[in-house]
Amino acid sequence: MSDDVQPGAARTAILRAVRAARPAPVARPDVGAAVRRFAERRDGAPDDSALLAQFVAAARAGGSAVVEGTRADVPRLVAAAVPVARRVVSQVAGVVGLVPMPDMPHGLADAELFVCEAVFGVAENGAVWLPLSRLGERAAVFIAAHVAVVLDRRAIVSDMHAAYVRTDVAAEPFGAFFAGPSKTADIEQSLVVGAHGPKEFTVVLVGDG
Amino acid sequence: MPVATPTRRAALPVVDAHAPNGAPVDHAAAAARFTADEPRTDWHDGALWFVREKRDRQAASLPEWEQLRELASQIKEHTLSHLDEYLIRFEERATANGIRVHWARDATEHNRVVHGILTAAGSRRLVKSKSMLTEECRLNSYLAERDIDVIDSDLGERIVQLRGEPPSHIVLPAIHLKKEEVGETFHTHLGTERGLADPQALTAAARAHLREHLLAGDAALTGVNFAVAETGGFVVCTNEGNADLAAALAPVHIASMGIEKLIPRAEDLGVFTRLLTRSATGQPVTVYTSHFHGPRRGQEMHLVLVDNGRSVQLGREGFWRSLKCIRCAACINTCPVYRRSGGHSYGSTIPGPIGSVLTPGMDLKRYGALPFASTLCGSCAAVCPVKIDLDAQLYRWRQLVADAGHAGVSKAAAMKTTGWLLARPRLFRAAGAFGRLALRVLPARARRLAAGPWGRARDLPPAPAQSFHAWYAARERAGGAAGRGEGPGA
Repeated sequence: MSDDVQPGAARTAILRAVRAARPAPVARPDVGAAVRRFAERRDGAPDDSALLAQFVAAARAGGSAVVEGTRADVPRLVAAAVPVARRVVSQVAGVVGLVPMPDMPHGLADAELFVCEAVFGVAENGAVWLPLSRLGERAAVFIAAHVAVVLDRRAIVSDMHAAYVRTDVAAEPFGAFFAGPSKTADIEQSLVVGAHGPKEFTVVLVGDG
Repeated sequence: MPVATPTRRAALPVVDAHAPNGAPVDHAAAAARFTADEPRTDWHDGALWFVREKRDRQAASLPEWEQLRELASQIKEHTLSHLDEYLIRFEERATANGIRVHWARDATEHNRVVHGILTAAGSRRLVKSKSMLTEECRLNSYLAERDIDVIDSDLGERIVQLRGEPPSHIVLPAIHLKKEEVGETFHTHLGTERGLADPQALTAAARAHLREHLLAGDAALTGVNFAVAETGGFVVCTNEGNADLAAALAPVHIASMGIEKLIPRAEDLGVFTRLLTRSATGQPVTVYTSHFHGPRRGQEMHLVLVDNGRSVQLGREGFWRSLKCIRCAACINTCPVYRRSGGHSYGSTIPGPIGSVLTPGMDLKRYGALPFASTLCGSCAAVCPVKIDLDAQLYRWRQLVADAGHAGVSKAAAMKTTGWLLARPRLFRAAGAFGRLALRVLPARARRLAAGPWGRARDLPPAPAQSFHAWYAARERAGGAAGRGEGPGA
């Protein structure tokens, strides 16, 4: 351990060591081309209804509840999904939140239900993409006991490759894929739902149907 | 530097994951202590095999699984072969995103950087989510000595922290514990009812206990699963949500990462997020895959890039590919030796096959036993999502350990004798004849003793009627009827 703590000394030393240690150059693979080949191996692109069915099955397998309806049904569907919630924080027009978004995230500690819009869902794993602009506050979706997300049934991509094509993850300072309620299996491999984050996660699928 | 006696902190034992005083790790002796409890060993073996089977089902469900592994391997090898360029690009983009980037040559420097950030911010309560790097740097004890409260918020890590143990596994830190033991730990530290052993109830108690700490934390430290050079952001994958909750609440977020965690572009995340969790726990994806590209309003976000021996490993021709590791633990779950010896027997932060190729380079004398804690069956290399040639690297380390004279006296002597014997065909044939005779006439107990440690848990096979050499010679004399397929059998 060198005791020189000049700013930049560590950076210089690490970069120099890495440069000296570099193995022979390896070419960057063409990820896009490889992903196109995966798609070609399947029997054509799955249609919207197949993607939706795959998404619903994967979301349920991950512990999410999935309900369906129209835009106008959203408040009723959310209330039916989480009937006990009184302290509701909502980022969705039409769903009345009784608790305004506090200045400090700690104010969300006793939120019973958080409701927001998802941008799209991923068929292969049942995850939904929620960037900061839909959350309002990063902590909201992790701290509330229940979370309900509203998702347009046509906004489903097939897999994680398509997900990263669909969204620019760097466009906002925070964004996450959510695939259900929080979980742990740290005690004897027994699956327990509701580790630190939400205990229940509901996806409200909406469309014009 | 002595510090004032802490007033509030629960007195937690300080954990040292490594053998005391740098004494050589004796994996075989530690494994023998573990396997002394046979039912528990069987349970441990089964628990890990269950995870391995879940991984198999997920891998089989994707027709492109093997192509994904190849892609992931190439992306990582490409990045490592241009690592300095990618590090510079990452630093530039991350800084532009409002993330303060720090560099640390080794564990002490990492700990000093983290402590400096906490001191400057006036933070005294650090909520930490899972980070094997901070275990490697032994950050907890460093900060405890400086009067900083460190709370591990991952359930498994909190359990082992309360017990004063290091994690025994990199994904399932408390996999070595039975629920009754967790119940006792919680009874002692969290005041749960004596005898409570229901995982659901224990998790609920931990949730309430940790929720208080999460809300009270004035700094959060997370690990990093992937850092993206082109975007200057990083990704953290969890199932519990503890990392996100801590980072979303605390005024300071520190992310610690080894320099090998870089990948070039956001599109590469599509490859790695599909492989990571399927390989690790058999889920299609973690519950939370969080992308951080800047601090919350009013928050400080820091990222520490740590070398700590990685650049040295990068320069080792036969071993640099071990840096492709994405810490999924698939190799650990499948390893027949790990499953029957437990993570603590390796005496290193990272156990199992990947630990046995990463750790020896840190101190060959101390960790020389690790490459021998393997059957070289190759199962680790077969499941590795980034195709690290783990079995080949274990074999290479064995050569280096033996060359450096750390293989142990009896092993060295046995190898030397065997080599000497194999170089003398006549003598070898005589020894074979003697051996076949001994197998026939000696009582079973004596046979096992003669076989040395190998015979402790095994019966020797019945002696064949003749040696292969004799059988082959006889067959040649008889005109070598090809394909008769009659071996020299018993």
